[in-house]
Amino acid sequence: MASFNPTLRHQVIAVYKELLFLGREYPLGYEYYRTRLRKAFASQKDVTDEAQIKKGIERAQFVKKEIEALYYLKRYRALRQRYDKI
Amino acid sequence: MFRTALLRSARQAVRAAPRWQAPIARPVARSSLFQAKQITPSAFQAVRCYSASAGLSKEQVEGRIMDLLKNFDKVTDVSKLNGESHFHNDLGLDSLDTVEVVMAIEEEFSIEIPDKEADAIHSVKQAVDYILAQPDAH
Repeated sequence: MASFNPTLRHQVIAVYKELLFLGREYPLGYEYYRTRLRKAFASQKDVTDEAQIKKGIERAQFVKKEIEALYYLKRYRALRQRYDKI
Repeated sequence: MFRTALLRSARQAVRAAPRWQAPIARPVARSSLFQAKQITPSAFQAVRCYSASAGLSKEQVEGRIMDLLKNFDKVTDVSKLNGESHFHNDLGLDSLDTVEVVMAIEEEFSIEIPDKEADAIHSVKQAVDYILAQPDAH
């Protein structure tokens, strides 16, 4: 797919790597996360349009932010549970 | 009173003893060390500085990468796994799997492989060569 444009290919691989790294602390387990991430990327393998690929990368960046937010939320909830004993 | 005085004198004696012995003992010890080094340098090759590279052998690196690949769930045909295996052609891994393998290698040898170089690793042999070229790989 990205054989036309090596920089896009690099970007996709880099974002995949970052997402994989983020998934290590995923609440449902790394395996669960990894298989789903792989499926998500593999489902887009036929996309050849550059604009589409760029859109996909942007979506991946958005997901990255979401996962970070999820971790913050998880931390916040854990802290709250410990301190907010009624 | 008597006890503290006794203790103090004893302590002084202990402290003084090595001080007097030191100038006599030290040159002797040092010269014997230097002589030993000159005569048998092979005895000192076992000593390694903290700053020295880990000194991984090729077999070691290859073995560790093979173990890592063996435990990788996408590698189904372990019989095809050898020092020359190509990730895509022999082991049937796609580019995403290769990223995972490279990440696992990074972790195994506690180094960071830049994206450019990571992209060039397509086979076991390339990975081994890359690790051997890194001085800070463990």
